[in-house]
Amino acid sequence: MAITTRVVARPTGEASYVRATFKGLALSFKHLVDPHKVTVQYPEEKWDIGPRWRGTHRMLTTEDGTAKCVACGLCPTVCPANCIKLVPGVDAQGNRYPVVFEIDEFRCIFCGYCQEVCPEEAIHVGRHYENAEMDRKDFVYDLARLTAQTHPVCEMWDPADPKGE
Amino acid sequence: MSDTKLVNLTIEGRAVSVPEGTTILEAAKFAGVLVPHYCYHPGLKIAGVCRMCLVEVEKAPKLAPSCATTVGEGQVVHVYSQKALDARKGVLELLLINHPLDCPICDQAGECELQDYTFQEGRADSRYHEPKRFNPAEDFGGDVLYVTNRCILCTRCVRFMGDVAGSRALCVEERGDRAHIGIAPDLDLSHPWGANVIDLCPVGALVSKDFLNKARAWELDRTASVCPNCSQGCNVTLETRDADVVRMKPRSNATVNQYYMCDAGRLNYQWINRDDRLELPVVAGKPAEWDAALAAAGKALKGGAVHVVAGAGLSNEALWLLKQACGTGLFRVAQGPEAPLAGVPDLALRADRAPNGAGAELLGFRRADQPLAGAAGKVVVIVGDDLDGLDTSALGSAAAVIAICTVVPKGLPAGAILLPMANFAEEEGTFTNLRGRVQRFLQARPTPGFARASWTVLAALGVAAGTGGSFATAEAVFAALAASESTFGGMTYDTIGLKGQVAATAGVNA
Repeated sequence: MAITTRVVARPTGEASYVRATFKGLALSFKHLVDPHKVTVQYPEEKWDIGPRWRGTHRMLTTEDGTAKCVACGLCPTVCPANCIKLVPGVDAQGNRYPVVFEIDEFRCIFCGYCQEVCPEEAIHVGRHYENAEMDRKDFVYDLARLTAQTHPVCEMWDPADPKGE
Repeated sequence: MSDTKLVNLTIEGRAVSVPEGTTILEAAKFAGVLVPHYCYHPGLKIAGVCRMCLVEVEKAPKLAPSCATTVGEGQVVHVYSQKALDARKGVLELLLINHPLDCPICDQAGECELQDYTFQEGRADSRYHEPKRFNPAEDFGGDVLYVTNRCILCTRCVRFMGDVAGSRALCVEERGDRAHIGIAPDLDLSHPWGANVIDLCPVGALVSKDFLNKARAWELDRTASVCPNCSQGCNVTLETRDADVVRMKPRSNATVNQYYMCDAGRLNYQWINRDDRLELPVVAGKPAEWDAALAAAGKALKGGAVHVVAGAGLSNEALWLLKQACGTGLFRVAQGPEAPLAGVPDLALRADRAPNGAGAELLGFRRADQPLAGAAGKVVVIVGDDLDGLDTSALGSAAAVIAICTVVPKGLPAGAILLPMANFAEEEGTFTNLRGRVQRFLQARPTPGFARASWTVLAALGVAAGTGGSFATAEAVFAALAASESTFGGMTYDTIGLKGQVAATAGVNA
């Protein structure tokens, strides 16, 4: 069967690029005059994040600045990503405290179970998203780092108020 | 047994027949229903003080404490009727009035009966708003710390010390909400069996000082084993965290140790985790491959008369393979004072502080104070003895020295061949206790470095020396042992099970 070519006669108005170019430019100039409301001038300007945002962790402290954690071992137990390392110990007053408490933020899946399970309200996931570091090893947060962070913490989901109203 | 009268009753809709005189609680256990209880313990006298085991018996005027009520013909017992559940919920609420909310720092959390039953049957909240009673924790001596606030006064510890251990160290002091466990001014729980109160305590009131804040109960892996610290052979559970044994607990065996084990055995487990282990075969002072080291050992064994020094901590399998490879020899057993438990017949911390002296004797090894005596000029094979405290001068003139060991023995000549082996917690095997009871132990932790199970090393040594066969499992070794030694005839790992089986020649070395 011989190969043939069929020439389609399109109307000039549709085939030309001139009209489409002006249409596109018109949209661009419209946005220049009336900027899109979603665009945020990061980092000068930051978006509000939700009260239940789950970001990198923070360890809350008592009045004297020590971590509230009593090394009960529930967070490493409940952690589905197995990213919490905890070694318990006893201080001079006979109080149980974490000798080692490390969270590998790379391994963490930010489920928030650690905060939910904590009986002392010590470990929290934070309302925070700027986590860049120069070295991979800096993503393993030790106790000093966790207690030193100051960002706001996540509010847990309240079953009585599921939509946070 | 035939003239025991059986009583028929119904528990939770299940018909059971139990011997006359059985308590409802035991009958329910037989029917597969666990009645919650605190003060009741099968090894102790019945006290009936906790009221947690209340059950409803049809036609009885009020609820019955099932631990102290014997079964009656035709009884219909309801464990989970609304009336019984309400009563137990009330008991739990009262127990929790003064119980601190310190589960996060309590060592018992995860294996606490108060937690378990509260979760099953208790109230979710407390109606008590007044401040809780507070008493400081008290050191009871021995390995025991008494955390007064957590105590629910079940008196298991008091009854154990009084009735089983025969010591009047503990009692209940004061009354009402001030009651607590008191300790006699001139006594403490440094009794050789005192730490059993830690296991008996259903809550975290009596906790081990050794285990305090070390690990959480749910992190531990548990392995059935046998205590390696004396010839009684108490059945134990080795509890490991990662690869380290963090505590030893008794495993019940009615014929050996009932529910108990002594403090000396319980607390002597750190050596299992020691980190100065021999991890590589060594030939002439240099690390060697296993094949080369075994070939060198096999060659050395053919170089003259062999003098064997065995350890009393070796399994029956290892001793038998040693006998196959090099013949029998001498072993020594460390001695210590005996400490019987008054309330249990034939249970004591024995003078022989090694688990398998009886097994070694049954297999033809001989006991000696100086197992190296007569070793001069011979090929000396040392298996599982660290030679600590022995005169090792004879080794200097030995034709060759082969040491199969967990740690490098002291006083070895420079040319010795060292083969690393596993300790009892790192391999499978059997021990024979002083009554001739063969008991299995299972592997609880990995072997360090290139060390191999003792039976693997000794079987390979037998092959290298051309005197023994090769085996794939410890079970196969034991089968061969049972086939060749009439004392162990007919035994297999299956017939031994986890409760042990008495060898044909019982009562050795009583």
